[in-house]
Amino acid sequence: MIAPSANAALIEAKDLVRTYEVRQGMFGKATPVRAVDGINLTVMPGETLGVVGESGSGKSTLGRMLLGIDSPQEGETFFDGKPMPKLGTPEWRALRARMQLVYQDPLAALDRRLTVAEQIGEPLAIHKLVPKEHRAIRVAELMVSVGLRPDQADRYPHELSGGQRQRVVIARALASRPKLLVCDEPVSALDVSIQAQVVNMLRDLQEKNGIAMVFISHDLKVVRNMADRVAVMYLGRIVEEASSDVIFAAPLHPYTKALVSSVPVPGKPLKGRTILQGEPPNPANRPSGCAFHPRCPLATDICRTSVPHLRQVADGRTAACHLLAGADQPVAA
Amino acid sequence: MLRFASIRLLRAMITILAVLTFAFVVLRMSGDPAQVMLGPDVPQESVDAFRKAWGLDQPLWIQYLAYIKAIFTGDFGVSMRDKASAMQLVIDRIPATLQLTIPALFLKVVIGIPAGVYAALHRQSAVDRGVILAAIFGFTIPSFVMGLLLVLIFSITLGLLPSGGQDTWQHGILPTLTMSIGGIGILARFSRSAMIEVMGQPYIRTASAKGMAWQDVVWRHALPNAAVPIVTIVGFMVGSLIAGAVVVETIFSWPGIGRLLVVSVTNRDLAVVQCILLMIAATMVVSNLIVDLLYGWLDPRLRAHSAH
Amino acid sequence: MTIVDTSRQPASEMPFVIRFIKQVRRLPFSVGFGIAWLAAMVFVAFFADLVRPYGITAMDLRARLSLPGNPAHLLGTDELGRDVLSRLVQSIRVSLAIAFGATIISAVVGTTLGFLAAKFRGAVEHFVLVLADFQAALPFLIMSLAVLAFFGSSMPLLIGLMGFYGWERYARIARGLAISASAQGYAAAVVQLGATPTRVYMKHILPNVASTLIVSMTLTFPEIILMESGLSFLGLGVQPPESSLGNMVGFGREYLTRAPWIMLAPAFVIMMTTLSISLVGDWLRDKLDPTLR
Repeated sequence: MIAPSANAALIEAKDLVRTYEVRQGMFGKATPVRAVDGINLTVMPGETLGVVGESGSGKSTLGRMLLGIDSPQEGETFFDGKPMPKLGTPEWRALRARMQLVYQDPLAALDRRLTVAEQIGEPLAIHKLVPKEHRAIRVAELMVSVGLRPDQADRYPHELSGGQRQRVVIARALASRPKLLVCDEPVSALDVSIQAQVVNMLRDLQEKNGIAMVFISHDLKVVRNMADRVAVMYLGRIVEEASSDVIFAAPLHPYTKALVSSVPVPGKPLKGRTILQGEPPNPANRPSGCAFHPRCPLATDICRTSVPHLRQVADGRTAACHLLAGADQPVAA
Repeated sequence: MLRFASIRLLRAMITILAVLTFAFVVLRMSGDPAQVMLGPDVPQESVDAFRKAWGLDQPLWIQYLAYIKAIFTGDFGVSMRDKASAMQLVIDRIPATLQLTIPALFLKVVIGIPAGVYAALHRQSAVDRGVILAAIFGFTIPSFVMGLLLVLIFSITLGLLPSGGQDTWQHGILPTLTMSIGGIGILARFSRSAMIEVMGQPYIRTASAKGMAWQDVVWRHALPNAAVPIVTIVGFMVGSLIAGAVVVETIFSWPGIGRLLVVSVTNRDLAVVQCILLMIAATMVVSNLIVDLLYGWLDPRLRAHSAH
Repeated sequence: MTIVDTSRQPASEMPFVIRFIKQVRRLPFSVGFGIAWLAAMVFVAFFADLVRPYGITAMDLRARLSLPGNPAHLLGTDELGRDVLSRLVQSIRVSLAIAFGATIISAVVGTTLGFLAAKFRGAVEHFVLVLADFQAALPFLIMSLAVLAFFGSSMPLLIGLMGFYGWERYARIARGLAISASAQGYAAAVVQLGATPTRVYMKHILPNVASTLIVSMTLTFPEIILMESGLSFLGLGVQPPESSLGNMVGFGREYLTRAPWIMLAPAFVIMMTTLSISLVGDWLRDKLDPTLR
């Protein structure tokens, strides 16, 4: 594992904002929806950042913006210290070799008319990384590294199981030896019995190759297993961020508390758990003040009127909640 | 509805403009209009004078504008052949063409649609099989083959009907039949599949489950819904009333627009060809427009959308 | 009308792989017949020079307007004593070549326009829409007549012109499929791998939509045959001394009274060929792509 410099972030996001227009019916008025609303984060080389949140929290949009597949309307992303090139430009395409995405639905992400080997070898062909005659060997290596048998090279996606397909997608993503891998719910479409295998494999590959990873999931158990650091998202904003051990042991934000306590722990009684009340968040109809206040058991008047900012609450951990005592200055980006 | 109509109107106008431009480009690309109009043996001075008089010495885009202006003021040029107004020549031929195409359209609608609806309501019956067979013939036998076969049978072999000309009403029978036989099959098959699709819809089953009389189900629920696609194809047939006559009028020496077109094309009578082209495009565009508006009126879903 | 011309069925002549024969046996009779007829036509078109007994302009002046069934001239002769069978064989070759070339052009043009509309949307899409409107406004036969009137008829022009027939069908299909493919799924995944748009469209989207496009070719092909034979019948398509099915019918028309076989032979071939393609096409459509109209 070679980290270039301990202080240089591999990817850095500054004040990212992404707005979608949502139309009510065919001729309805377009309402802007802020899917991602001012997000700052950094990922160091070789580090895994977990991003958790309910559906609609903007975590997938965030992942796509980190990769430059979606362009932010405000803010900027830096990869290896350089700003993200514009979507679709040759520079942007060249950068794909260094950052890759693992999809939620592997069957949709694979071309049903090409064999496994052709698809895994595609990044090598696109970026002209390995000469044609050596490509088969490299593809076989990749297949073994993700736990596929080389004799499955001539299979088509529909001839494989869901777990095997996801292994193909991962092998394809790793083919160009990327430095960053964004995994968007990589195991949520798989059988529970397979999930652990794929997660363990991802972690091994990540450690072996020193890849930085952004691991997006709604499943806290999986994130806990994978991530060094965790960012919790609610309606397009990060509400708490801390190292994985700390956040699961002692969550600070009421929303994080609710999420963490919803994960059953063996040997612990269910009593005393915080259960999330109310409706799941709707990005088109954002509550005033703290977006979480309608569901927060501790909400006070200030929560309804004033938006809490992300503040440093302890060493290496931030949260956005009025009820938390901490250093009173907003965190610098 | 207004928004829908105005968008369609705009598209229709753009289409007409595209056809005008097509005619202009083809006309200019095919050679020097002065040479074409005046013939090859004219001295250079009169060619130059002609070019100046018609603005042919102007840049192309000014010529284009002048051409568009002339079209909109009803000036379609003069026939090379008999020096008459091209527009007048074309208008004179319209009645003859309509004498064939309107009865043919009438036959298609009056036989084709009921046969198709009947076939859909009586699947696997003799009529149903007949409709399928007739539709296959309609698609696969070109009208010139059909026309010649009819001549061979009714004029040459049986000696019952005249094979060409426009003198008596009997002369119109074979051309009208030629034009309608294929169309009857096509329209019947189309109505059949439209009707079958509608009959499979849940609201038809609901209506009959409620105990509604079968006749009422068909008349009040099935037919109005099946009418939407049928109107589309009938509209297309109306639009191609003139265009469809080209081959048939040639076979039966019928002095209509189709024959005029073929003759003018053979003689390279550009003004007449251009005039017919524009007229056919105009009828097509107008009938497509009417069908679209009718469609919006017949289909309540479209109406609901455009109400906003 | 479904008279089986057994002499033209190659399926019974050649010993194919057993599995293939089993598949053929499972076909409906009409489809099997259609395939056999088309195979015979393709065979005739390819080996026209070997199949036809005489040259197409060779005149047998002692046997003018001779009846079919005559041992020297199976399908009879025309006014100039030219062998109808030989001219028919040559006409099949010419008509099929034109229809085949035009179908390919139409598919390529339509698919390209459809992909461009899907890729660039906006102005390009509107431009394609205007072109399609234009095509709908001018019946193809009329447009062809106009173009041939101004430019005169020649083989390349005829094929090129026919190549514009039916492109809007491919454009519509290609556009729809490409948009749904690139909105999500495999095409988006390949873009994310860094592939150029050309690679995405040629290597991924095209193979995925190919079967649908091929099926729609079976709709266009017979229509082009009818269009070409119509134009040739009117004397504006294929020009003599070359011969096509349509202009054979056109010339046969002159001798309808005295020698109807001159016109009946090519008319029968036109009917059988378009019928066969329709039968096979309908069956293919049901098998491969039931979503297609």
